[in-house]
Amino acid sequence: MKDIAIILFASAGFDKAAQGLTGAARRLADQAGAKLRAIVVGAAETVAAEVARIADTVVVADQPEVADYQPELCLNALTQICREIFPAAVLLSNDTYSQEIAPRLAHRLAGSAVGDGIEIRMQGDAVRVVRQVYGGKAQAVLEMKRSPAVVWLRARAFQPAPARAAAGEITRAALDLKPDPRTRIVERKREETGEARLEDARVIVAGGRGVGSREAFAAELQPFAEILGAQMAASRAACDAGWAPATWQVGQTGKKVAPDLYVAIGISGASQHMAGISEAKNVAAINTDAEAPIFKHCRFGIVGDYRKILPLVRQKLAAVAK
Amino acid sequence: MNILVCLKQILDPEVPARDFHIDPAQREAERGAANLVTNIFCENALETALQFRERSGNARITALSYGPATAEETLRKALAMKADGAALVVNDGNPNPHPLTVARVLAAAILQLGQFDLIMLGREAGDWGAGQTGALLAEELGVPCVAFADSIESAGDKLRIRRQTEWGWEIVEAQMPVVVTITNDEHNVPRIPKVRDVMMSYRQPLTKWNVSELGVNAGDAYYEVTELFIPQKETRCEFAAGDTEEERAGAFAKRLAELTSAL
Amino acid sequence: MNAEATREIYWNIGHVWVMYVLLVPTLVAAGYGVYRHISRWRQGLPVACFDRPAERIGRVLKHAILQARTARDAYAGWFHRFIFFGFIVLVIATTVVALDADLGMHVMRGAFYLYFQSLVVDIFGALVLVGVAMAAVRRFVGRPKPLVYTDEAAWILAAILVIVVTGFLLEGWRIAATHDPWAAWSPVGNLAGRASAMVMTGDAMRLAHRLMWWFHLVLCLGFIAWLPYTKMMHVITAPLNIYTASLSPIGASLKNIDFESSAAFGVNSLKAFTWKDLLDLDACTECGRCTAVCPANAVGKELSPCDLILQLRQLMHERPREAFGAPANGNGQPAGDEARAGLPLIGTLPAVSPESLWQCTTCGACMSACPVFIHQMPKIIDLRRHLVMEEADFPTSMQDAVMSLEKRGHPFSGTQASRLDWADGLNIRHIKDASDAAVLLWVGCGGALLERNQKITRATAQLLQAAGVNFAILGRDEKCCGDPARRIGNEFLFETLAKDNIAKFKQHAVKKIVTACPHCFNTLRHEYAHFGGSLDVYHHSEYLARLVDEGRLKPAAGDRKVAYHDPCYLGRHNGIYGAPRQLVQIASREMIEFERCKGSSFCCGGGGGMSFIEEPPDKRVNQERAREALATGADVVAVACPFCTTMMEDGINARKGDRDVRVMDVSELLLQAVQPDATTQATAP
Repeated sequence: MKDIAIILFASAGFDKAAQGLTGAARRLADQAGAKLRAIVVGAAETVAAEVARIADTVVVADQPEVADYQPELCLNALTQICREIFPAAVLLSNDTYSQEIAPRLAHRLAGSAVGDGIEIRMQGDAVRVVRQVYGGKAQAVLEMKRSPAVVWLRARAFQPAPARAAAGEITRAALDLKPDPRTRIVERKREETGEARLEDARVIVAGGRGVGSREAFAAELQPFAEILGAQMAASRAACDAGWAPATWQVGQTGKKVAPDLYVAIGISGASQHMAGISEAKNVAAINTDAEAPIFKHCRFGIVGDYRKILPLVRQKLAAVAK
Repeated sequence: MNILVCLKQILDPEVPARDFHIDPAQREAERGAANLVTNIFCENALETALQFRERSGNARITALSYGPATAEETLRKALAMKADGAALVVNDGNPNPHPLTVARVLAAAILQLGQFDLIMLGREAGDWGAGQTGALLAEELGVPCVAFADSIESAGDKLRIRRQTEWGWEIVEAQMPVVVTITNDEHNVPRIPKVRDVMMSYRQPLTKWNVSELGVNAGDAYYEVTELFIPQKETRCEFAAGDTEEERAGAFAKRLAELTSAL
Repeated sequence: MNAEATREIYWNIGHVWVMYVLLVPTLVAAGYGVYRHISRWRQGLPVACFDRPAERIGRVLKHAILQARTARDAYAGWFHRFIFFGFIVLVIATTVVALDADLGMHVMRGAFYLYFQSLVVDIFGALVLVGVAMAAVRRFVGRPKPLVYTDEAAWILAAILVIVVTGFLLEGWRIAATHDPWAAWSPVGNLAGRASAMVMTGDAMRLAHRLMWWFHLVLCLGFIAWLPYTKMMHVITAPLNIYTASLSPIGASLKNIDFESSAAFGVNSLKAFTWKDLLDLDACTECGRCTAVCPANAVGKELSPCDLILQLRQLMHERPREAFGAPANGNGQPAGDEARAGLPLIGTLPAVSPESLWQCTTCGACMSACPVFIHQMPKIIDLRRHLVMEEADFPTSMQDAVMSLEKRGHPFSGTQASRLDWADGLNIRHIKDASDAAVLLWVGCGGALLERNQKITRATAQLLQAAGVNFAILGRDEKCCGDPARRIGNEFLFETLAKDNIAKFKQHAVKKIVTACPHCFNTLRHEYAHFGGSLDVYHHSEYLARLVDEGRLKPAAGDRKVAYHDPCYLGRHNGIYGAPRQLVQIASREMIEFERCKGSSFCCGGGGGMSFIEEPPDKRVNQERAREALATGADVVAVACPFCTTMMEDGINARKGDRDVRVMDVSELLLQAVQPDATTQATAP
């Protein structure tokens, strides 16, 4: 059985995504009875060391040309390394760089690519990947027909793997890199989470008419949002009442958001508001009215007065964090 | 300067879940009463191209689509938005060709249409969302690719491309020719065409090919859809349980923690 | 009674031929003034408005002669009638003099002279003075806000005053100087004469009379010559405008566009208006009532229909060459050449700003209030059409609605509701399976896709079922009727939607339709005919009221105080006031009328595409109406339109505090009265 490779970009560190990716790949390799070969791009001894505790081997590509990500050069380097390794599958995370090079890497290796996998398994010798399609309305199981299967995963959805007794071997890649001036990243800008766009937020806390006042938004909802690492939003009713700025408004006449978690507090769930969160993966709600339409769209909820519930929830969350 | 924009016509992604059905045997979505629309990211790409042309003053924009005969509507809309020309490769075979086939067909059509400095696509389609066509097309054409861009400016004989990343953005300087995939941004919302332009668009010439005319080797397998299903969604909201409010709040908090920790 | 009662015409006046000479420049000036108006109207596009003359004459009698609308403001109605009828009588009197003096027909004799030419004329002359005084008090002392205050208006009042006063002085001096035996028959003149005699000798009065006669003549001739150059022109244009006004209800006032042949879609220059539109401008009497009743204006927005009309008129008068552009010639000036097309209106005239244009709810209050039947709101739509179809320049949220209409056949961008959600558990057939259905229930986008309104659709359907009506629906095949597209100004999209729906009606042989939405009702009933859809359309209130009358629904009496809010598109646009009230009365203990009700109903703020616009929080039409609703003291506010439901609920919920006030559709009220245990909560799909 050919090996399973993973590609990690060192600049992100061995974060949640990297851990999830490594975990998924480890389990796939074990399922296939194959080895797990990690490829780390960029200078990072810590990442290599961490991943070596799970993978069988680690190849580090830390040459100056690829220390800082440049698409053509990194693609070139990875192609060379993968040709050496000759894996059955190459797995990547869902960061920008991985997403952009995965198909191209597949093409260069005469393999097949697929992205945003939420499950991956072997079916005999073939790799099968499950992913959402049609805007999340359906799921497809795809069987990769060419080798290697280059798959980027929704890495944070996978469990990490435990460290093993013996660490894998870490080697440095031998690369033949020619300069490629055709594209060059000349500037990078990290944005503070506070300034991030509501449309890009992963977690959102939104308040509606049931919140009752501007003070309540600030004193009750905002601290709650902070604990969750969430952005603030509001329904039209709350904005109309002057309790929240118009930039927070979500709904048909407002922003359309697609968070992984949307917590609606004091929001009835009328369709005009729901139209703004139709892409939310999970909705949770706190509302005094058990019949409120919002609960039809929720994964979970709680009936009650948020004024009493939120402080308790905050306490519990703080306890869990410890 | 010659710009090519690829556009895909898809089933309306905003079909409500209740009206969305699939044919499990065909492994395709059923058309039902849903409309066909142009993929939004493709429209963002066209809008970006149009704005580029307005700023630089001198560019010719060609719209290209590979799809069923109905895709002509998409191209007419592109012409109504003032693309200069349009071409359609008619697909009357497999309704869901995999991205490699699409890339090869587009590459063959592009070679027929002439030399292009900038080739733009949407980052992914709202139906299958593979997100690969642009990258594979770049490989087929042997040119670089910049993904998730939201704006393009001229910089001498190069292009200055801003692209989004999960933590912010980057500026990429690119020589031409280059393939760029476009993502949505507040500044590239597709313009509404003037009604007169919509009427005129039907009178403009539109090149049409069949796939066979282009001599594309589309036979290779890439991946196969073995199953397509609609996961049963729990419509039941899980109400936090507990005898006291504190217990219920605790249960609620637990679920919140579970969800946020997976991010 | 002396059969020889008369007076000497031209007594004390010599060189009367000068009067005839002076008539020439007078008539030339006046004629030229009228000609200028006509020549400007003729630069507008053609339109037919001379059909059904009997009805038109009836309108002129009711509104130009009896001034029914002017009289809605009682004070103004009276003083205008005094001046109007006063002048008519004075003109008749002058004609009588001319018949006698110029044509030798001695009619100015005997009883006729005494009763009419002396008494009646004096009384009506005095009424003119009373009218002018009342008008002056209003204009200079009361200074009500809606009125248009110009120097010209003041001068006109002054001129009328002087003409009539000098006329009485002349009469008085003649009476006094000739010791007229029939003086008592001219009471006012007599008074003037007696008063003058106290301070003037007979010779003085003779001299004064001679001089004043010429002054009075020149003033009158001057007034006639001046008339077409002032708002006095309305004496000609108002009756003409009333005669040529559209005989259709307000709901059917929008124009159709022939896309193949039109040079311009919509209006952005005077040239693109019809001649009737331009006549509208000249009929305006500057009363300001349209702006006074405009809901947008009432909440502090810039929109002012009066300013719009007057500024268009001013442009037409002051810069006609620029405004109308060069006449079309065959020498191939490029299309879109601004000079040829005429000065653009939008953005050039302050009242024709995009901001104002996007504030109109198309409620039609302006049209309904106008005493001379000007069509203000359709002009706003014409201007919107230009912005939307020629420039694609309109508010973003409306763009979202339009895109959603194009792509999905409904304006609610982002909704995940399906058109059949409301019908769960109700066992309603699709029309394709129900060729025997008596009527099609047209649900409308609001009724299908807005959560709150789904309950109303259910209520209506349940009532129809309870009454045993054999009905069916189009289900997912229903597309938006096109009203929002049309009101926003995208006539092209409207046409596409209309033709689509009409094809479906034909496919399923639909003839009779009932709908709960007045906008759909109005569009299907009036606006589909142009595209070949000939349909029998009922609003659900009418249909349900008939079912009650026929005994097919048996409601019990209600126990609450209910105030009924007239929807603009049902009431003012289509004249349906009775049927919904019937339902409300049946289902309530007490029905309350809003202060502004029926034809004067104040808009909820949702029409004209305004549901898709974010209004500034302090300038919301629905808040104003909600205030009025809460002031009625009712427990329930009854509505009959999905836009009204949304707008009134939003407004009332924001303002009601702790009070329990609910908004219910008339069908919901009726359902409670018919089936107290019924629920309109949809069962889970």
